[in-house]
Amino acid sequence: MTNHVLPDMTDLYILDALQDDIPLVPRPFEAIALRLGIPEQVLLDRLKRLQDEGIVRGISPFLESRHMGLSAATLIALHVPEDRVHEIAAIISSYPEVSHNFRRDHYYTLWFTISGKNEEAIQSVLAEILRRTGIPDTDVLNLPTVKKLKVDVRFSFLNTEDREGTLGSS
Amino acid sequence: MDPPDMHLLSELGKGLPLVEEPYEEIGKRLNLTGNEVRERIRNLQAAGIIRKFRARINQRRFGITANALVAWKRADSPKGEMGSLLASFPCVTHCYERLPVPGRWEYTIYTVHHGYSRNAVLAEIRTLADSMGVHDYVVLFSTDEFKRVPTVRIGENGGDMT
Repeated sequence: MTNHVLPDMTDLYILDALQDDIPLVPRPFEAIALRLGIPEQVLLDRLKRLQDEGIVRGISPFLESRHMGLSAATLIALHVPEDRVHEIAAIISSYPEVSHNFRRDHYYTLWFTISGKNEEAIQSVLAEILRRTGIPDTDVLNLPTVKKLKVDVRFSFLNTEDREGTLGSS
Repeated sequence: MDPPDMHLLSELGKGLPLVEEPYEEIGKRLNLTGNEVRERIRNLQAAGIIRKFRARINQRRFGITANALVAWKRADSPKGEMGSLLASFPCVTHCYERLPVPGRWEYTIYTVHHGYSRNAVLAEIRTLADSMGVHDYVVLFSTDEFKRVPTVRIGENGGDMT
């Protein structure tokens, strides 16, 4: 289980502000600090700390896969025998075409995504995974992406109501 | 996209340096001025290649550990088209339309939800379902995260550096 940390209010305001696009000005952190009413150096120091603690994984662009030569994507669900979950998950995760691989509470145990330059590229990765793991087609759901309607990962760290009684106790 | 853009995206993928003038710093590595770096980022944003440019936060470190994928069966909702309705809720972080597996799995709309507890997430999902008047859905809570990396990783699976 991950250790939960207890950030202070200033941290939470910083994290909230960092979920907006970084300003394209010569001194973006100064601009953000100004908005938060704290000195630029305080913001930079706190950001370094939040990054060291693994709370911020980094400030980087989120790229649109379709424009990066990844035009096809699918979600795969596998029914996997309980005692093979970890072994099979490791095989799946080893593919660079797989970006997300989760175990979920369902008859279909493993849920993972494959992206590739086209449908054939995806099919060949899937076929190889099934061949290596010996999972029969009848235990597979292949759910190709038709349309991406929304991707906007954002957390309301300032909404303390959600958090009451749960932080640090779960 | 030209090679300098690819190199820029590759550098930015390592994370914006936490210094007073981060674009100058990136520019130094690529032989560009800070101004040119910002201009290129602006163009990549306008072209839709950069979708967002912001912090990646590990919500699990705050106790936001409940994660549900919900598979919805399309139904006529009196409120409008289900996919757009679901995407419009602020608590939905991802919303995708997918092909079904006829006869075995008829769900075609997928949403992702995060929260401090399973109960909180379930309550949120129930609220959405009630507001749309749809009740055929499956909630899939994650129990293990084996892999979670950005979908596009320059040099690994996205784009050609040459």
